[in-house]
Amino acid sequence: MSARTVALAAGLLLSIAASRTVSAAPVPAGAPVAVVENVDGVPCLGAGELSRLLDGVQYWHAETRKLVIRIQGHRLTLTDGVPIALLDDQTLRLDAPVRSRGGELQVPLSLLPLLPHDSTGVRLIVEPSGTRVRVAPAEGWVGAPRIANDGDATTVTLATQHPALARVISREREHFRVWLPGSASSGVPDSLPPESRLRALRRLPSAQGVLWEFALRPGTTGFRLTNPAGQGAVTLEFGAGPGLQRLAPEGPAGPRTLRMIVIDPGHGGDDAGVTVSGTLEKDLTLSLSRMLASELQHRLGARVLLTRDDDRNVDQPQRAEIANRARADLVLSLHFDGAARTHAHGATAWCPPLDAGGGGAAAQLLVPWRDVASRWAGASRSLADAVTASLETHGLGPARVRERLPLALVGVNAPGISLECATLTSADDLARVASPEGLHDLAGAIADGLIAWARHE
Amino acid sequence: MNKRILLLLVLLIVAGLGAAAWPYARARLAGLLSPEGEATSTDSSSATQTGLRAVTLWFADVSGDSLISEVRELPEQDGVHERLAQLVDALVSGPQRRGVGVLPAGTSLLHAYLDDRGLLTLDLSRPFQQGFHGGSRAEDLVTGSLLRTIGSNLPEVKQVLVVCGGSPIASLGGHLPLDQPIDPHSVP
Repeated sequence: MSARTVALAAGLLLSIAASRTVSAAPVPAGAPVAVVENVDGVPCLGAGELSRLLDGVQYWHAETRKLVIRIQGHRLTLTDGVPIALLDDQTLRLDAPVRSRGGELQVPLSLLPLLPHDSTGVRLIVEPSGTRVRVAPAEGWVGAPRIANDGDATTVTLATQHPALARVISREREHFRVWLPGSASSGVPDSLPPESRLRALRRLPSAQGVLWEFALRPGTTGFRLTNPAGQGAVTLEFGAGPGLQRLAPEGPAGPRTLRMIVIDPGHGGDDAGVTVSGTLEKDLTLSLSRMLASELQHRLGARVLLTRDDDRNVDQPQRAEIANRARADLVLSLHFDGAARTHAHGATAWCPPLDAGGGGAAAQLLVPWRDVASRWAGASRSLADAVTASLETHGLGPARVRERLPLALVGVNAPGISLECATLTSADDLARVASPEGLHDLAGAIADGLIAWARHE
Repeated sequence: MNKRILLLLVLLIVAGLGAAAWPYARARLAGLLSPEGEATSTDSSSATQTGLRAVTLWFADVSGDSLISEVRELPEQDGVHERLAQLVDALVSGPQRRGVGVLPAGTSLLHAYLDDRGLLTLDLSRPFQQGFHGGSRAEDLVTGSLLRTIGSNLPEVKQVLVVCGGSPIASLGGHLPLDQPIDPHSVP
């Protein structure tokens, strides 16, 4: 046995020992990473690092110069100097041979996509920078935005394992937000292409998934989200041409005044609302309204008025009158949804439709009093976006916005939304809001959304 | 061997002709076998059955987020009342393939009046409101299912006002107003 072989065997034994030490412990949180090595121009990963990331155990066969890594019921065989790996009985062709360097086998990265992706094993991904390999989180991963100019438009491509689940949760030009499930695999790009419609971008904290926020340049009026299932990416197009979805209308810049907030606890008295397993919507709306009122008084210093503060029936005209008499700066009607026989879950904010009248320069001169809330359609839409974005950020989604005048805003002369805070016919949603802690979290998230809307940054 | 191939060819031609003629024969059979007036229990003196008509019905997707369509063949009706009653009954019966029926059980058409401007007043039975239990989303799905089905099958209808048991209603379940006519073609 030559000295080189002894050194190689010793090195491998050391790496085996190290890998066993590591494999005894669970995979640490935060997606462990390994550095990519360049071997004769081929990006490679050391066998010891590969084994550690895969939570495997190595066995070196010196006579045949083969390394066997046992991974969660699979057997991966690598041979020094051979551009082939064996996975169980399957032959995997690599783009370069496995090489020995510094007493350790170096494995070309072309192996990674060929590894098994069943539920028993982890999945390894190469970061967009190409310098590191990391364990993909179980819930999936989201790549860094790739930004390019396409004529007058700017496109942003986000790699993701679940493109069909991508959602635009805020359409404001300065705070355009898109949410994707999974964990971010990399950071924010260092620079933006010149003449881009993007002025800035950042990743916001999100309890579940990845939340990207884009600040768009003035003159950008619309967007298009393309998220076909199975494509491995979503594409956002920003531009000013026809055929794009509109961005949210823009009001005057600067903070909004919130002196008087009216909270409307839905239902009450003989109208229990949605009832599921003994949980009554009217009780939840009242409890949540009280918590939210306390939160807003404390954090905003605003006066808060409830349309009902006990279990009684208040009809819609009375509720509208209370809000109008108080000269409310904002009206928030709280409800909990229910849709039996469907898998519906999450929250929905209902606001007056922008097409129905107000919301900017095209404000109607004459509006039937029934539809007076449509005068505030633009502000109400941005309020809905702010509150749903906050719910998503706190992991209380999915939260969507629907533009249709809700009954709670009929005859209400103020910006407002009717918020279905969760869906009681969903077991997960019901479990979350049935406890005081769950309602308190919900109140905090709604308050954050209202405060963000009031700041109007 | 050649005789077998010839026989097989003849059988294939006969089968092809049969398949091509089947829709026509079925329409003729439906027209001949259905007794007059059986299409609706209400007065249908203006209705005549001449065959089958393809209709588009809208049901809720199981996700509860959207509506999905189902094309179905129903006996052809000439009168607006009969056609609407047939559509309402089909929606209450529920989908035959994917989706979920959302119209409350027991809902039926009491009266329908279409004026010369295309405003349809649709008077539904009491169970339409009394049998509804749900929130905004369920309410949106019910009205969407009903209005989109009307919009898909009666292009002459420009607006729909829903009333219940002969009386106007402010809302189905207290979340979305139903007191004004709605353009069925504007329902998303």
